[in-house]
Amino acid sequence: MVKCSICGRRAVYTSRTSGHSYCNRHFTDYFSKKVRRTIRKYQLFRPNDHIIVAVSGGKDSLALLHFLKKLSRYSPRWKITALLVDEGISGYRDITIKRFQEIVSDLAINYEIVSFKEELGYTLDQVVSSKHGKEYLPCTYCGVFRRYLLNKAARKIGGTVVATAHNLDDIIQTYIMNIIGNDWDKIIRLAPISGPATHPRLVRKVKPFYEILEKETTVYAIINNLYTGFEECPYARLSLRWYIRRWLNELEEKRPGTKYAILNSLLSILDILSKKTNLSLNEEIDTCIFCGEPSANPICRACDLKTRLSSIELNPDAHKRIDELKHLFTNKYRILPITKQHYTT
Amino acid sequence: MGIKVKVLGRGTYEIEYRNGMRVSDVFKKLGLLSTEYVAVRNGEVLIEDEKVNDGDELVLYAVVSGG
Ligand SMILES: [Zn+2]
Ligand SMILES: [Zn+2]
Repeated sequence: MVKCSICGRRAVYTSRTSGHSYCNRHFTDYFSKKVRRTIRKYQLFRPNDHIIVAVSGGKDSLALLHFLKKLSRYSPRWKITALLVDEGISGYRDITIKRFQEIVSDLAINYEIVSFKEELGYTLDQVVSSKHGKEYLPCTYCGVFRRYLLNKAARKIGGTVVATAHNLDDIIQTYIMNIIGNDWDKIIRLAPISGPATHPRLVRKVKPFYEILEKETTVYAIINNLYTGFEECPYARLSLRWYIRRWLNELEEKRPGTKYAILNSLLSILDILSKKTNLSLNEEIDTCIFCGEPSANPICRACDLKTRLSSIELNPDAHKRIDELKHLFTNKYRILPITKQHYTT
Repeated sequence: MGIKVKVLGRGTYEIEYRNGMRVSDVFKKLGLLSTEYVAVRNGEVLIEDEKVNDGDELVLYAVVSGG
């Protein structure tokens, strides 16, 4: 039996980088200390915050909800609301909603559910199977619409901050994906806290599990009875993320510490980028001319995708013309923060 | 007797027990990465170095979930 490095009881987790093992109780302490350190270091929350916890129904977001509820004992002025976005993925989402409602009721947390169907007019399944819904991978539609609705709903509920359960693994996967895509303006958004650019309709976003491994959120979820059974999103395997995740896990297995090393690399580049003068991080965020929501461009990504999904039959020339106009409009008002370097052979 | 392993989301497998076998050997036998699963026996979380016994029933929880 492997023993806890602190008390000698049976260990449930070993940190492969430090070599320390922890029992149930000391794992919880280790986990909690790590998250509280992140919260403190990046000043994620304020004493009067109304925290909207973005819940997917999976173990990570339920672990975050559970953790913040426990932590709120020390922040009596916090208000916590769980917000679930129902994308409308049959066979996947139906199961998790029921379990979500049981858990929020056990934790005595208020909740709201917003659905793609009600807010956009179509479920993700309908988007993906529609005539124009093949332009991007399902995860692109899902990600764009989720972020859009999350902000909109959080603001309507009166939230002052949105906490998402992105863990270290999620963050470094996105980092690698954006390195491949040469998308440095997206990498800037991988900081533990959103900003400093603001918009009156944009709710601040924070990632308390920034330094927590996915394996650790899993252990936390299991020992706290939050693991809801295994439901993999049916679209997950279509994404580039799936391959990168696998590759990072294989690498971590052979070279423990790789994931933390990549996170450190991200933190360094975030620091470098924040000092880069032509990168106007403090610039005002645009307002979408269609929907009035905050946007990086004059037309937000959600509205852009919605027009592409439009059922209006246009000939290819018309689509081309619309793209040109969008491009023209975008470039007139926005100077790309970073000039992408293109290497061609 | 052997070891019965239920991998959530995948199915149930029977593997042969060998002396001194550990959780990490069970992962290897099934071709799984220890970074991607957490093993549980009788409701208790096991670390990879934990020894398994003949006749054990393990449940493997996937670390990788779809969101
Ligand atoms: Zn202990
Ligand atoms: Zn818009």
